Amino acid sequence: MLARSTVGRSARRALRCQCQLGTVPLGGRRGLAAPASGSFSYETGDAAGIKVASRDMAGATTTLALVAKAGTRYQSLPGLSEALEKYAFKGTEKRSALRIQREVELLGAELQSYHTRENLVIGAKFLRDDLPYFVELLSEVVTQTKFSPHYIDEELNRLMSISHKSHLANTESMALDSVHGIAFHRGLGHPLKPTTSLPYSQYISVETLSAFNDAAYSKGNFAIVANGAASGELAKWVGEYFGEAPTISYKLESGQSKYYGGEERIAHGGGNTMIIGFPGSSSLTGGFYKPEISVLAALLGGKSTIKWSPGFSLLGKAGASIPGVKAATKSAIYSDAGILYSVMSGNADGVAALAEETVKAVKAIAAGEIPKEDIAKAVALAKFKELDFGQNVQNGLELTGSGLIQQGKPYQVDDSAAAIGAVTEEQVVQAAKTLLENKASVSTVGDLFRLPFGEDLGLKV
Amino acid sequence: MSAPSIAPFVLKRPWLSRWMIPLANWYADLSGYRKIGLRADDLIPEETPIVQQALKRLPPKEAYDRVFRMRRAFQCSLTHQLLPKEEQTKSEDDVPYLSPLIAEIEAEIKERKDLDALIVSRK
Repeated sequence: MLARSTVGRSARRALRCQCQLGTVPLGGRRGLAAPASGSFSYETGDAAGIKVASRDMAGATTTLALVAKAGTRYQSLPGLSEALEKYAFKGTEKRSALRIQREVELLGAELQSYHTRENLVIGAKFLRDDLPYFVELLSEVVTQTKFSPHYIDEELNRLMSISHKSHLANTESMALDSVHGIAFHRGLGHPLKPTTSLPYSQYISVETLSAFNDAAYSKGNFAIVANGAASGELAKWVGEYFGEAPTISYKLESGQSKYYGGEERIAHGGGNTMIIGFPGSSSLTGGFYKPEISVLAALLGGKSTIKWSPGFSLLGKAGASIPGVKAATKSAIYSDAGILYSVMSGNADGVAALAEETVKAVKAIAAGEIPKEDIAKAVALAKFKELDFGQNVQNGLELTGSGLIQQGKPYQVDDSAAAIGAVTEEQVVQAAKTLLENKASVSTVGDLFRLPFGEDLGLKV
Repeated sequence: MSAPSIAPFVLKRPWLSRWMIPLANWYADLSGYRKIGLRADDLIPEETPIVQQALKRLPPKEAYDRVFRMRRAFQCSLTHQLLPKEEQTKSEDDVPYLSPLIAEIEAEIKERKDLDALIVSRK
């Protein structure tokens, strides 16, 4: 048993919850949210100068996330976002990493941290009653993380090196980084994972990391989003624990993204991936929102939503006759820009054949050769995917947080779904024409002897 | 690896520390390690996992200086000579640089043991 003085308030709370679990039946103890809002929309508010949003969905669990505008796009040195992500929950002035881990285990919760190109997300999933504990934990991570050189040497660099190696071994993730690099150069083009050992051998130190930490977690640079918590309660606890979060010291900046386009070819022995990208759409709150891009992504598709059938999508149908290749089309949406890309992976000849089919498909759409009902199906699928995406708690949290920091408005999935639903056939055709007029971004990773150049496919690169 | 120490007890009492500190300095001087340029923390036996870990956590400059002091002391010992007066360790330079790290690692291990032995009591 721990000495009494070493058991902190939070640990005692953890223990108390355990005891209750043992005696009272679960259903009787946890009251579900009284009135669920019935919509996907988040209620927003402001507590202690920090933007908070919550969606009170009925259920026994809560997902809490702190979304900071500190993804790879905003990092001041390569690798900092990833390092800060890996440093989350790894020891604060008050509690060691082990203690945090054990307390969270006692509460039966789950911690998570990840980063995307724009955001750094740290959060937790837990039982509804434990909200105060986790708000306190997040505030501790934000304001009191202890950066020590030995942790960087002993743990962080190893984790970074694993992430670096797994990135280099995966042709798809390399091609994805490469296509973003081609399309946006800097900012959104920064690689998501370390592509060399430079970040952890040269750039990451206690000083750079804590400076980035202060900038990333300063008031105005992050938002707190919860799913399954009453907004009043969340605001109350955030106000109580986040009072001492630092105000902005220096702003993490990245200029308006500009689309460039071009081609990059990387020789690789571990597989073949080809990505053909086009300028896409920003998020709904970002000012360059084009709902027809989502419809185009659904129309090009590649992955069937129905079992045992290639589906209606153009790449799905083309891929049915080319064995050993898989394709998928995605519209990656960022705050102020986006990229529409098709990924093809598999054997080299198949990828080459499918890439040709992809370009043909885009040309066919631009020429208006696609039957009306296919476009109607694509609109329906795109709308469904958008709503499904928004309903997914994880994505919803990140998008809402990111919208709140960047534009002060949360991401409202209903609005974007409505916009997608209203897309007409002419808009789709027009959008495809614009794609072909612009420079494409073609990234090829794999057996370069067999994989074609963008020029050969009939693209402008 | 940190030995039991009465230093905190003494330092808390000014009347005690007033006459104990000169005595301690005299004793430390007499034990001779300062005359061959070592510090007290250089004398901690390093053949344990905890101290090895602490040595790995030393900042590069500290680690280099430690090795330098040890080689110089070894040379002095071989040649049966003491360092010239100005190269000997002064009492204000004889600071603990390794024992805080050792204490930190010991605290980590103790915390882990305590948490592993935690008994969840149900009321």
